[in-house]
Amino acid sequence: MLRILHDTNYDFIRWWKVMAGITVAFILLGLGSLAIKPPNYSIEFTGGTLMQLEFTQPPDVGQIRATLDQAGIRGAEIQQFGTNREFTVRAQNREAVAEQSRGAESIAVSIEKVLKQKYGENGLKVVRTEAVGPRVGQELKRGAIVAILLSFLITLVYLSIRFEWRFATAAVIATSHDVFTTIAFLKLMHLEISLTVVAGLLTVLGYSLNDTIIIFDRVRENLRKGRKETLYETLNRSINETLPRSVMTHVTAFAATLALLFFAGEVIRPFAWVMAFGIVTGTFSSIYVAAPVLLWIERKWPRKTGVRQSSSTATPTSRTRRSPATATR
Amino acid sequence: MSLKWRVGIILGLIAASLWALFPRTVVERVKRNGEFVYDTVRRVPLKRGLDLQGGMHLALEVDESKGAVPDKSKAIDNALKVVRNRIDEFGVSEPLVQKAGNDRIIVELPGIDDPRRAQDVVQKSAFLEFQITDETQALEKALPRLDAVLKDAKVAAATPTTGARKDTTSAGLQSLFTADTSKKADSARKDSANAAAGTAGGPGAFSKLIQQGQMPGEYYVAQTDVGLVTQYLAMPEVQAALPPAKVVRWGSDTVSLGNRVYRPLYILDAKPIITGEFLTDAKPNTSPTEGNLVQFTMNNEGARRFRTETSRHIKDYMAIVLDQRVMGRPPVIQSAIGANGQITMGGKDLQAAQDLALVLRAGSLPVPLKVVEVRQIGASLGQDSIHKGITAGVIAVALVVFVMLGYYRFSGALAVVALALYILYTLAALAGFNAVLTLPGLAGFVLSIGIAVDANVLIFERIREELAHGKTVRTAIDEGFRHAMSAIVDSNVSTALTAAVLYQYGTGPVRGFAVTLLAGIAASMVSAIFVVRTFYMLWLNRSREAQQSLSI
Repeated sequence: MLRILHDTNYDFIRWWKVMAGITVAFILLGLGSLAIKPPNYSIEFTGGTLMQLEFTQPPDVGQIRATLDQAGIRGAEIQQFGTNREFTVRAQNREAVAEQSRGAESIAVSIEKVLKQKYGENGLKVVRTEAVGPRVGQELKRGAIVAILLSFLITLVYLSIRFEWRFATAAVIATSHDVFTTIAFLKLMHLEISLTVVAGLLTVLGYSLNDTIIIFDRVRENLRKGRKETLYETLNRSINETLPRSVMTHVTAFAATLALLFFAGEVIRPFAWVMAFGIVTGTFSSIYVAAPVLLWIERKWPRKTGVRQSSSTATPTSRTRRSPATATR
Repeated sequence: MSLKWRVGIILGLIAASLWALFPRTVVERVKRNGEFVYDTVRRVPLKRGLDLQGGMHLALEVDESKGAVPDKSKAIDNALKVVRNRIDEFGVSEPLVQKAGNDRIIVELPGIDDPRRAQDVVQKSAFLEFQITDETQALEKALPRLDAVLKDAKVAAATPTTGARKDTTSAGLQSLFTADTSKKADSARKDSANAAAGTAGGPGAFSKLIQQGQMPGEYYVAQTDVGLVTQYLAMPEVQAALPPAKVVRWGSDTVSLGNRVYRPLYILDAKPIITGEFLTDAKPNTSPTEGNLVQFTMNNEGARRFRTETSRHIKDYMAIVLDQRVMGRPPVIQSAIGANGQITMGGKDLQAAQDLALVLRAGSLPVPLKVVEVRQIGASLGQDSIHKGITAGVIAVALVVFVMLGYYRFSGALAVVALALYILYTLAALAGFNAVLTLPGLAGFVLSIGIAVDANVLIFERIREELAHGKTVRTAIDEGFRHAMSAIVDSNVSTALTAAVLYQYGTGPVRGFAVTLLAGIAASMVSAIFVVRTFYMLWLNRSREAQQSLSI
């Protein structure tokens, strides 16, 4: 039997202050950077036009820009996208978006026209066009925010039913932490916030929550066993006991993420980056945010005594739907 | 549950999945040599989203820039019918036309390779009017007023493109205020050119841009000045100064005289003699003399009205106005016209005639629509995404198999078989529920391959713990499954809830992601818990020594 990190007894929680320092510093760095310069929202949220063009000959970026400028399409961002014959053109500035309130496609039509005049009808091909009017952008933005908040709420409710409010709150705080670190990561990596990235963010939340639940499930079980130990020790024990599982799951999930990052192409890469970072932050927050927060909550609002006795009478096979704490009330 | 039942259920699920994924023959509209034809195609019944198969997604709203629309919801309902008719005739396989919310139409056209044309067909108002050109020289009378208005507005400083103006060689045109002789016209033109070049803001800011055309109510504007004139015409002051009970419309085709290109501008009687609402049929045709054209037929009432009105306007010129643009050159009315007529397409190709006939048949849009969102993806890009997604998926599977086999050996092999079933079940579920596979969905699926083994990892680690506590193999397996269950259920349910939120609030591709996630969660619960458990039971039943040690 091949075993890694078996029967470990690391004192994970001892380091929580150091870890809190690191993560707070990272979040502050990200938020500070946000305060200086707003994040890159994709055209889905701001309104605007994105075109992916495939040229037959590698063109000169400066020339593309000059051609667009001449035609009055100013401030368009031009980026290489994969090979040196593929480029994206992004018109997202205020004038471009205002123009689109008359018709979302107008800018795309003129971009295609002037570039085909310059490079010839067969000199380039438009392989993708996304044009979003400002109003739709607003709606999508609102939808994304509602989705994130709603998923928090639903999770909180579900966890409160399955565990109890202390666990649920700690889990949701750990997950919120992941939102902040991921946003900081997006900003520091200059990644664009698109609908797909928001979907990635929600997947990260699910993943992180999953990880926290696995550890808390073990905590719940260890509390039931009624050992004579402090919650601090129980938390550490639970983290250590679930360590092999955590490592294995993160390894396989990370393997799949790497496959996406390197092989699934440009369009999906931002999503893969979010996922890759999410696995790291999700693991981190389960240990260094969820557990310390749970400890803090327990100190502030301690459980009623008598938990131990009642839980020792419960048979290990009968899984009550409620936590030991609520069961005694 | 007895072992036989368990095996039966697994085999049944495999059979059902294979059936759901079995390539089947479907009748589809496919494009062949530029024509859409019905054909039978054999393919795996997995629906690909627009981002994977290429195509176009359009969101349209009522365009209120030219006047408010009181009941938008009703207007959208009516427009929806027209758009649906047009799309049905357009010939796209499995198009989608639906109302979204209260005031939006969503059109999805898979496999469209000419997005501009598709958008035209959807968006064209196709409002047909027949209007008599002005014979009262109303514009000439209004010109001093127009010039004055522009002078007041201080736009005269914006001189027209004078470079082209200096070219006075184009003979045969009559300048507006001079006598009919071309010599005088030439000198007048020189004057006006000089005025434009020399003293910006001189008199005649408007009048110097337009010239008399070849029939009453027709004027020519140099192609280079069209933008400027359009700009002027849009000014409220100018609109107020335009002749009453008349409308100004651009022509659809340009006119070349000498080496200069002009666009005709028409002054028409505001009240149309008839509109396209009486149209019963329209079909494209090609005539040797007039090129491509659309022939239309009117119903009885339309024919009667048309006959009365045209008989009253013999020798007048009748402009055929489509969506506020005069099609071709207004013909002179020789005698009363009945039920049939035609619209010439100028230099446009036959496809333009086909499209026009199509939109005329489907009826005009009751309100103008504007596009608020477009997503258009080329078929080649979609194909490319599929290839890359599959590559990533195969590599992900290979890595996960490697890790699981390397670490858990025999039990890992069981998990790998379960993973194969997971992939099969998920795809089958997507096919069975007619869900749409999108690029983010594909990415989510690849990701889920890495996460799907989590349940097995949880169980295996539990079994290891139980074995370490000195339990027998059989008990350890039982206990391992039982103890891992609550964690598996809790974590999967919370992920499913997140996916449900995504489904509710996501659009297009993201929604596809949520569906894939949901299908994956369900499939992984079945494969990791039920299938692997059954494998263990089979294995325990089979060999005696198995009960002594377990490779995990």
